[in-house]
Amino acid sequence: MRWDWHDRLHLLGLVVVVAAMAWLLLAGAPGDSGARQASGIERAMERELAYQARAAFLQQIYGPVEELRRQGQAQQALLMLEQLNRNYAGEAHGYILKGLILHEQGVLEEAVASFVQGLRLNGDYVDQRSPLSERARIQNAVDEGLTTLGARARANPDNLSVAAALRNVYYLQSRLAGGCE
Amino acid sequence: MLMQREFWMIMAAGLSLGLLGVLLAVWGNPENSGICVSCFLENSAGALGLHANERMQYLRPELIGFVLGAMGSALVFREFRSRGGNAPLGRFGAGFFLIVGCAIFIGCPIKLFLRLTAGDLTALVALGGLVAGVWLGLRSLAAGVHFGMSSPQRGGAGFLVPALFVLMLVFALAQPGFILASTRGSAAQHAPLLLSLGAGVLLGVLAQRSRFCITGGVRDALVLGRRAPLLWGLLAFTAAAILANLLIGRFEVGFYGQPGAHLEHFWSVLGMALVGWISVLIGGCPFRQLIKAGEGDTDAGMAVLGMLIGAAVVQGWGLAGTAAGVPFYGKVAVLVGLALVLLTGLLLRERTA
Repeated sequence: MRWDWHDRLHLLGLVVVVAAMAWLLLAGAPGDSGARQASGIERAMERELAYQARAAFLQQIYGPVEELRRQGQAQQALLMLEQLNRNYAGEAHGYILKGLILHEQGVLEEAVASFVQGLRLNGDYVDQRSPLSERARIQNAVDEGLTTLGARARANPDNLSVAAALRNVYYLQSRLAGGCE
Repeated sequence: MLMQREFWMIMAAGLSLGLLGVLLAVWGNPENSGICVSCFLENSAGALGLHANERMQYLRPELIGFVLGAMGSALVFREFRSRGGNAPLGRFGAGFFLIVGCAIFIGCPIKLFLRLTAGDLTALVALGGLVAGVWLGLRSLAAGVHFGMSSPQRGGAGFLVPALFVLMLVFALAQPGFILASTRGSAAQHAPLLLSLGAGVLLGVLAQRSRFCITGGVRDALVLGRRAPLLWGLLAFTAAAILANLLIGRFEVGFYGQPGAHLEHFWSVLGMALVGWISVLIGGCPFRQLIKAGEGDTDAGMAVLGMLIGAAVVQGWGLAGTAAGVPFYGKVAVLVGLALVLLTGLLLRERTA
């Protein structure tokens, strides 16, 4: 292959551009925080901050409900949750909290349904790494549901409401089992 | 057949895929998702900032390993050929809808078998869809439907897609700030980087040498029956994965409560039928497309790019199936995919006068 002036010029240009890029990457990468932010390099930290802020916001909004729950005033807590769920429709936290209260009250079917609503909106509540995780308590509800609702479904195969409740338990079981989704 | 080196290469690829598919989940990948090309593409698209699902962002080293392992193997054994140039946009669209079909089922054909070998019976139903799709693809080929023959490409075009994966390797190793990584959700679950990369490279080399392909195995079984080496590779994959799952204690038979599975069987069947049909038309499942792209096949490279964009779209638009079921627009997307495959059957059919 013969190299003419066109090839030599391109080769020279290529060497210059690659060298300039290497120099830029090695010497000129943004080091200070301001420049990093300007180039969008701290997105991960920003996202983490936003997540922590969200968790704090939820704590603030739903804190009074948690307090009533701790004091054993389940009915008042549920009433307050109804109001909050209307104001913050689409927020999973209220449904999870409602599920926890209902489960403590022994209302398993409704508790499971409420967990399902919450998890469909936000899967963080079964994630061990999340500060919002309620994995252990949801697992308890599932274990109980598989035993009691499973037995009831076998005894009454035509009962549609029990079948629907059992489907909800299976959904929770599947979410707890993990997988990629 | 037993005397042929190719047969044993296929068996080695099948056994390795089954074993590593299970072990990668033990080492940290999501349950039943030790290897899943579609899930990994969705994760990688998220890591590159192509979608905003914060639970699905991680640059999966296995994918990089598949392509670069295949490229290395093809270069060493002098099988790297820049080739392609046929119906590039059609192949891009085919890659896109391959991922739509996979996302509806929640997994690629490899994951279908991994789910099945862990006892997930919902995958058994979807397997019916995959086989039906492959059969439809074969009928289409027999009727003269094809994307055209590939031809040699100039200018090192075959290196472009592997170069993209080299860039991803740099990103995976250097971890620049603009590459996103989930801190929760399934993408936060991953095996150690070098282990994933090593497994990917090994599988990439074996798959390149053996031409291993899941839908190829099904196709050859339908055409050749027991004489098809790829069928035995598929059986080796299945046996290795079942054995590994049994030994590790991850074998739970049932329809309910399976990880990353839903009970909308009709849509799983349709999704996998779409995957099987497209795979036969473009010459391989999503895994095989990655391997062929690593060998310099720019047609497969276009399918890979389509798969990457499809992965971003199914997450960005919320089309992907979840344990809750298949979203409405996910169902619409599968039907659109099937309509386009049918249209392709009309438009790309070579008719004799």
